Amino acid sequence: MPVNDQLLSLACGLFLLCAVGVLWRRELTALIGLLTLQGAALAGIAVLLALDDPHPEALAVAVAVGVLKAGVLPWLLRRILARVPAARETAPLVNVAASLLAAAAMTLLAYAAARPLVDLAPAATARAAPVGLAVVLIGFFLAATRRRAVSQIVGLLLVDNGIAAVAFLATGGVPLVVELGVSADLLLAVLVLQVLTTRLQAAFGDTDLDDLRELRDR
Amino acid sequence: MAAYAVAAGQAVLVAALAPWLLGWMRAVRARLEGRAGGRFGQPWRDLRKQLRKEPITPADAGVFFVAAPPVLMATSLLIAGAAPYVSTRGPLSGVADLVVVVGLLLLGTVALALAGLDTGTAFGGMGASREMTIAALVEPTLLLAVFALSTRVGSTDLAAIVAAGAADPARVISPVGALAAAALAVAVLAESGRLPVDNPSTHLELTMVHEAMVLEYAGRDLALVEWAAAMRLSILLGLLATLFLPWGVATSLHPAALAGATALFAVKVFALGGLLAAGEVFLAKVRLFRVPELLAGSFVLGLLAVLTASVLA
Amino acid sequence: MNPVPTGLAAAGVLAATGAAVALVLPARWRSAAVGVATAGVGAAGAAAGVAAVSGHGWRAEYPDVLPLAGVSLAVDPLAGWFLLLTGAVAVVVGVYAIGYAGRGGHGPGARGPLALLPVFVAAMLLVPAAADVPTFLLAWELTAVTSLLLVLVEHRHGPAVLPAGLWYAVMTQAGFVTILIGLVWLAAAAGDPSFAAIQDAAGGLSGPVRGGVFVLCVAGFAAKAGAVPLHPWLPRAHAEAPAHVSALMSAAMVKLGVYGIVRLGFDLLGGGPRWWWLALGAVGMLSALYGILQAAVATDLKKLLAFSTSENVGLILLGLAAAGLLASAGQPAVAAVALAAALLHAANHAGFKALLFCGAGSVLRGTGVRDLDRLGGLSRRMPATTALVCVGALGAAALPLGNGFVSEWLLLQALLHQATDAGTLWTVVAPVAVAVVALTAGVGVATFVKVVGTGFLARPRGEEAAAARESPPSMVAGMVLAAAACCALAVLPALAGPALDRVTAGLRAGPRPFEGGAVDLRLAGVGSTIAPLWIAAGVVGLAVATAVMARLAGRPRRRAAAWDCGDGPLTARMEYTATSFAEPLQRVFDDVLAPEQDVDVTPAAESAYLVRSVQYRRRLPDRIEARLYRPLIAAVEVAGRAARGLATGSVHRYLAYMLAALILVLFAAAVR
Repeated sequence: MPVNDQLLSLACGLFLLCAVGVLWRRELTALIGLLTLQGAALAGIAVLLALDDPHPEALAVAVAVGVLKAGVLPWLLRRILARVPAARETAPLVNVAASLLAAAAMTLLAYAAARPLVDLAPAATARAAPVGLAVVLIGFFLAATRRRAVSQIVGLLLVDNGIAAVAFLATGGVPLVVELGVSADLLLAVLVLQVLTTRLQAAFGDTDLDDLRELRDR
Repeated sequence: MAAYAVAAGQAVLVAALAPWLLGWMRAVRARLEGRAGGRFGQPWRDLRKQLRKEPITPADAGVFFVAAPPVLMATSLLIAGAAPYVSTRGPLSGVADLVVVVGLLLLGTVALALAGLDTGTAFGGMGASREMTIAALVEPTLLLAVFALSTRVGSTDLAAIVAAGAADPARVISPVGALAAAALAVAVLAESGRLPVDNPSTHLELTMVHEAMVLEYAGRDLALVEWAAAMRLSILLGLLATLFLPWGVATSLHPAALAGATALFAVKVFALGGLLAAGEVFLAKVRLFRVPELLAGSFVLGLLAVLTASVLA
Repeated sequence: MNPVPTGLAAAGVLAATGAAVALVLPARWRSAAVGVATAGVGAAGAAAGVAAVSGHGWRAEYPDVLPLAGVSLAVDPLAGWFLLLTGAVAVVVGVYAIGYAGRGGHGPGARGPLALLPVFVAAMLLVPAAADVPTFLLAWELTAVTSLLLVLVEHRHGPAVLPAGLWYAVMTQAGFVTILIGLVWLAAAAGDPSFAAIQDAAGGLSGPVRGGVFVLCVAGFAAKAGAVPLHPWLPRAHAEAPAHVSALMSAAMVKLGVYGIVRLGFDLLGGGPRWWWLALGAVGMLSALYGILQAAVATDLKKLLAFSTSENVGLILLGLAAAGLLASAGQPAVAAVALAAALLHAANHAGFKALLFCGAGSVLRGTGVRDLDRLGGLSRRMPATTALVCVGALGAAALPLGNGFVSEWLLLQALLHQATDAGTLWTVVAPVAVAVVALTAGVGVATFVKVVGTGFLARPRGEEAAAARESPPSMVAGMVLAAAACCALAVLPALAGPALDRVTAGLRAGPRPFEGGAVDLRLAGVGSTIAPLWIAAGVVGLAVATAVMARLAGRPRRRAAAWDCGDGPLTARMEYTATSFAEPLQRVFDDVLAPEQDVDVTPAAESAYLVRSVQYRRRLPDRIEARLYRPLIAAVEVAGRAARGLATGSVHRYLAYMLAALILVLFAAAVR
């Protein structure tokens, strides 16, 4: 196996492990740390792919992804976290051990389901594409089962990272415009959630999103 | 014949090394915590003292209490002789594979758990109950790690796995190897009763697991139990070392190769032990009911290792 | 002379003699005579089985025995394997029953129950020997009816026996109906009810027919085998039946369900598409996990053993599913290993479960209780039973030195084998299956540590256990036979290699799974070996050597009171009970088991803060039963009440119904 492929598979493994780690840990700061690491892994994947097929635009995308996912977004999340006192996910809707087993099941599903995709382009890169799919599923799972607003944002960011990874690995990169558009959307979403979290904190003294249900009842 | 000698030599080596390893780990820990600590040889001195003292059987205990220490010792010695620590050409390579090693470890645990229940004290039962719960939950991780390791070789034979790793080091440093090593490392911590699963130096009834089971042992019996427990730690660290750092394991029965492999094995195990002791400085024991989370995590790692192995194969 | 028909004929004659003798002889001699006759039936059947697995085939037709269909018998290696298994269990149970039923005129020692025992064994021997659909169904139903009557033997002794019998009757008859429909459908589609003809025609049948037949029959067979979710009869019937009947049912009769699946799936239909085996594997994994979890938290010894039966059946079904899946993926060599693992595990389970149920019977006879929370201290009072149960528990826990380990090792080898050509599905399913087997094995070990540790060791927890006495020699002898079989299977499984080779080769499953080896098991197609004899010798030899050397070097042993925190003496109430032993596991698997617990705190009258007493109650309802069967039973009850309106007692009305039915039939005929 050439060195480049070896590095790529390591980056993919790290990418998936970060997602699993997000389910494992309860401290919100650790979540953000893992997200940063995952962003770096994603950027690594993009850089390695860009080096495989030297192309200035691809390299630019890779750098942009790195800056955004490993720099800007985690920084914003840390700022949100600084204003929220409860820094732990105390009682997730599904307990941690069960979440981890669910993550295992979803990973298996991703591998089984992505088989046609892999058969379509039997290159080393495409073989790692199920990793992205698995991260998408784990991200949704996280967003669906955690109570804290920050955890849910992290879940959505995992979904986005997963989609980006699938796009990179399966097709060798997304068009620059699409990637930038999606990222801008996300940036906006994070900013909105930041405002929301701050308001939530001010109104209820907590960021448990289940409290939002009470708004409807009133 | 030479192969049998190697196996016996390995068993003696592990038995001799185990108390030193324990002393070394205590010393590392003490030094990092800023204490003076005991001498390296202290566990050996303790063993010698205990071996000379009379064993005491609780009034209500039966044959299980008496039989458990020798059985535990026997399983430890057998694994120490069978695993390819020094040479992949042992006589026992066709007899016991990785699954059997896992089974033998479990057999030793069971012997001790039954001894704990046999004493009829609350502590014995408590320790046995906790130990068996942890042992039951570790099994999936252990076997998935075995699965990941056996995939490329097409066999669960330990010698074959180690020989393949020694011949082609690149395959050891791969995502599969890293994931399997991480999964196995957590399982090793749980199996050998180290932090964060069990605290080997506690005697607080709320937290102790292994120590609660063996609380009634005294004298010679206690010496055997402690010695065997130390051997299990060496065995497990040795397995980690030979499976994931297979360099230097002799693939022939040449005396020079064997001598080199023996020295290297000791160095590897002591290095891992030192690493473990250093790590324990920063760890606290987790609650018993948080252990399943830890093991679920290592289970996922094992599963990912298997998946990666089959995808990259 | 062919030994197979001789053995079967001897079994038949002995069964008839045994039944007649039981009805005639006075109570004093009855159990001894019937026990010997039952053991004889078993021995004859086992001899026929041995002959069949060593290559003696046999088939015969008796068209005049039964009207319309006749009886058709054939014995091939597969049938021989199950004949051997059933026969061997019957030998154990026969010897055991001499002492167990020997108490006199009530319960299992009465005339009827004793007469039924050899008939039940003979009926079970007839099932694998059947060679066409009518004979098979006849033998199956005979087995079901005799076993039902035997389950109900002690109906005067406990209120739980009748409901248990009812559950068993309903489930086994429902299973029989689905098997009946399935096999008749198959015979109709093939145009001939004989198994040989079906085998020839099965390849040409359409997919939906084959699939429909498979689903119907496997549902019936799985119900008989006690697979989850068709298991609710099993913990009831096994717990309430007399011990020797439980042993026969759990060790032998349940295996007939496995035999049915093997015969249908691998022989008659000759393998099938992937979804069959995936469904079967899912049932197997569910059974294994759910069975062992329920066993882990059970405190009733016989109920625990019954749930452990579900677990082992699950593992067997998992092996069969792996074999089918691998065969359909073009991996015949590994498929043969998986099939051999399933069949060997069936034999191993028969060995240790017969032993354990006999041991439970012995405990029940000696103490009168089967609640582990009230037992303990039996290792001094019943040393033989304790030692024998330990052999069985070692096998059931699938630890090295026990017989269960070898077959689970084989199963793991088949699953671990990374068949790269077997496709994505196998890549995804195999790790899950390995994890399930591993967790099952782990929890199984904890379960049997609980059985031995809290049931037999330390101090007695109740007066009944304190007054325990050892069982009579014939019961112990029966258990010794079973223990000897377990030990033989544990250290020399290679002896079964040639037989399993013939069985799998006869099933078109593929090549032979074993590559010779007198002591070690060498697998063809999977590069792993194991030598159980050397492992056992190593552990025992090293343990003895350690003990002797330590004794020589040190001082003699002294007995003293255990440490009692200075509050002495330790009472039985301070010991860990089976419930407390299983509490951590129960908490870990809280979401699966959903125990119902409540704590009542009664404060002292003068203050709300001073507690006078605390009461803790825990119930572990079977969730699958509550969710699946309660609604079903409720629906049946509603339908039954509604149907009551049809029967008013008026003769005119009944005659009108008949007329209406006749008109309807004629109308249907006319329209068609």
